[in-house]
Amino acid sequence: MGKEYLGEFEELILTMVGALQEDAYGAAITEEIETRLKREVNLSAVHVTLYRLEDKGYIKSKVGGATNERGGRRKRIYTITSGGLAMLRNMKEARLELWKMIPQLKMSGQ
Amino acid sequence: MKDARPAWAWRLLSILCPDYLLEEIEGDLLQRFHKDARLLGERSARRRLVWNILRYCRPGILFRHRFSLDLIPIYMLANYFKVASRVMVRNKSFSVINILGLTMGLTGALLLFLWIGKEFTYDEFHANKDNIYKAWNRARVDGALQCWDRTPRVLAPTVTQEFAAVERAVSYADYNTAFLFTKGDVRIMKNSGAFTDPQFLTMFSFPLVKGDPLKALGNPNSIVLTEDFARELFGGKEAFGEVITIWEENNSFDFTITGIVKELPANTSFSFQYLIPFQFLESIGEKDTYWGNNSVDTYVQLKPGTDANRFNEEIKDITRKHTSGENITEIFLYPLTKMRLYSRFDNGVPAGGRIEVVRLLGILGICLIVIACINFINLSTARAQKRSREVGVRKVTGAHRYSLVVQFLCESILITALAGILAVVFVMLLLPAFGALVEQKLTLDYTNVAVWGAIGIGILTIGILAGGYPAFYLSSFNPVRVLKGSPSTGTSRNFFRKVLVVFQFSFAMTLIIATLVVQEQIEYAQQRDAGYARENMIYQYITGDLEKNYEAYKNELLQSGIAVSVTKTSSPITEVWSNSWEFGWNGKDPQSKIAVDRFYTDEDIVSTAGLTLVAGRDMDLDKYPTDSTALLLNEAAVKAMGFDNPIGELITDSGTEWHVVGVVKDFLLRSPFQKVKPMVLQGSKGWFTVIHMRLNHNRPLQENLATLEKLYNKYNPVYPFDYNFVDDVYKNKFIDQEKTQTITTIFTSLAIFISCLGLLGLSTYIIESRVKEIGIRKILGASIANIAQLLSKDSMRTIIVGILLGCPSAWWGLNQWLMSFEYRTTFEPWIFLVAAAAIIIIAGLTIVVQIVRAARTNPVSSLKQE
Repeated sequence: MGKEYLGEFEELILTMVGALQEDAYGAAITEEIETRLKREVNLSAVHVTLYRLEDKGYIKSKVGGATNERGGRRKRIYTITSGGLAMLRNMKEARLELWKMIPQLKMSGQ
Repeated sequence: MKDARPAWAWRLLSILCPDYLLEEIEGDLLQRFHKDARLLGERSARRRLVWNILRYCRPGILFRHRFSLDLIPIYMLANYFKVASRVMVRNKSFSVINILGLTMGLTGALLLFLWIGKEFTYDEFHANKDNIYKAWNRARVDGALQCWDRTPRVLAPTVTQEFAAVERAVSYADYNTAFLFTKGDVRIMKNSGAFTDPQFLTMFSFPLVKGDPLKALGNPNSIVLTEDFARELFGGKEAFGEVITIWEENNSFDFTITGIVKELPANTSFSFQYLIPFQFLESIGEKDTYWGNNSVDTYVQLKPGTDANRFNEEIKDITRKHTSGENITEIFLYPLTKMRLYSRFDNGVPAGGRIEVVRLLGILGICLIVIACINFINLSTARAQKRSREVGVRKVTGAHRYSLVVQFLCESILITALAGILAVVFVMLLLPAFGALVEQKLTLDYTNVAVWGAIGIGILTIGILAGGYPAFYLSSFNPVRVLKGSPSTGTSRNFFRKVLVVFQFSFAMTLIIATLVVQEQIEYAQQRDAGYARENMIYQYITGDLEKNYEAYKNELLQSGIAVSVTKTSSPITEVWSNSWEFGWNGKDPQSKIAVDRFYTDEDIVSTAGLTLVAGRDMDLDKYPTDSTALLLNEAAVKAMGFDNPIGELITDSGTEWHVVGVVKDFLLRSPFQKVKPMVLQGSKGWFTVIHMRLNHNRPLQENLATLEKLYNKYNPVYPFDYNFVDDVYKNKFIDQEKTQTITTIFTSLAIFISCLGLLGLSTYIIESRVKEIGIRKILGASIANIAQLLSKDSMRTIIVGILLGCPSAWWGLNQWLMSFEYRTTFEPWIFLVAAAAIIIIAGLTIVVQIVRAARTNPVSSLKQE
């Protein structure tokens, strides 16, 4: 088996799950992405990605509480697994390595 | 709390999403909706919601459904079938009616579909079928564009030479002339062969058992035989490479058998028992290069990828080019595979053909199945009351409506399957007889998995069609109502049942009328005066030495007293072999292209055939030696040529002048369903192939024939003795129509039988459910007649509506059919009356026994049990 990779959107969702902790469920993740990144995302896309990440073992889920706003439907709360966290870290480090290779422009008044 | 509509979107979502994910997704969507509603207002929130829901139709969601066996509970299915079989056994009469009706409908339909399927396979087996075309002629005749598929012999070699797109082209001619084949002592007359070009065997896929298709017809004196003809000539011995002798008139030619072709399949429009190359005719000096002689079929194989339409534009003027503009007949190519079903042209454009018959048969087959299904639907819904308690109990103990639907569908599929199995058995038994009737070699290929698959799917479909409506109806019962015992008979159900019965009987009515009209038309044509006396007249083909010995043979026939009159003619009196629009007469419009039938006779035709002379006299060479160019007209010809006094008029034909000596009353040369065409009977300067004689009816027939045989063998020793009775041949002209009659009669009986089965079942049930009512009525003084009237009124009214509705379609369809005959009977109203009476009587007989029995039941026995 070769090393697994995550797509850009998958990585984004995985990061959000890690960040939101106990409040990581479909609608909340979508809202966070929209408010923080000013990016339109569709709920179904978020759900599909969550399920795919769960299949890959980077996150796990449990059924949480219901609110009136949800018409009495329970949430499914996602939490990041250690595998998922390791994956995120690896990706970030690899990205940093690459970033360092870019010649940094010096802003000087010379 | 805002209202998150529309409901259909949520329903859709519940279908799209797997159950274990649904709650979460719904919750997220709702949360989203409420947020949107706060920010954007309810209307756009709703729009967004629908859009968001629709977006769940994506593989990442759809493929998360987990299919498992417990969605289709096998043990429940087994239970359904068990219950179904118990229900069937308990209601024996209804099961029998259902199964019998469906079996008959399916058998009839299956036979028809096998036949239809066969029609579509005609000439589909040729490897080059997509590139083979038949050449047709198109010309303006009598003001309309006429198309015909006989073309000149020179066409094939010419197109091969002149057009690069032509792969190969062959002429094919079955002249229908009989040759004598001899090998040792075996002497066989055959007219079932054809002349063709060597490429024929490579163009078409008629595989050779022996011989090389590339070379088999390469030599002028080579011949290819079919397996069965070779067997006929050689017994079991090897035929390949042998030499046989073929006699034509007085000449004999030796041919080497260079190929044995495998038995022709049944689904080809070709029928030949031997093939002789055209080169042979050309080697004995009969080269035909005349562009006006449309005597052969021409098949053209284009190179793959050639656009036939464009090619037709190029080939169109070929005849005009080769006759320097004299002959303006156009040539066009028409696909070989369309020849069987689409070969009728109206005014130059394809206008259907046999396909219309095939469509009609398809509709007939479907209708047979439909009326059988109607029986099932009506009986099931009528008896629904009996099952209502079962439905109630099942629902109360937790059955979903869905599982009840499945249960009832299982019952209908079980019944259909039983009927299907019986139908297949019947089809196997009936197929040979039915195949003989429709002149097709039909087979049900039971080694083929696809056939069984098709039958299986058919049974399943019919089961669902027949059982679908009853299943939904039965499963809709409200358990509280049915268990409390309140009756749930709706008038709308009754109405629906009646509509279906009306359909059944209008279909039966249409078929009965069809049967009657077909029979009327045949009788009408049979009673038509043929214009000549068919009895005691025989004809023989002039073969071998008969031509040379004709005078002596004729004299001895007359002297020995077996014949009273003898004449020789160009064709049998029952056939037209020649016609032309090139006759010339005084006062003919030069533009006119009236086709006139041509018939040669030496003399005494009037007395031999028993024609009626209207004016003038018969031909008589002894008294009038110039009668060799004499000519008789029929009345139609006199009218077409516009003569007031035709005797003595001169008529030119192929450079000879013929003088009119007499006029005969119209007589039938062609089909008795056609009008009599203008016709000339020309004198002894013509050509002759047939001897007609009128036998002496004062002597016993056997004696006549025995003497005839003796004389024949004396004057024509090589050829086997052969003769035809004109009245037998004349009868054969009705064969096609009589077949139509037999087929319509069979399917009409089938349809009526199925409809009456349903009627029987329905009336049995209705009477059963009114037993108490009848008892009370009797106690109160109703007579048997009162009760019979009460019980039959309802069904009879339905049947009469069916009869009335069947009339217009029958009238329209059969008028169309009658229009296809030039000589036709008129559609008379009494046919409707007879058909209606027939249905009412048959239906009445079906229910009368039940009704009388019910009316005579002692009220004590029907009322005492509760």
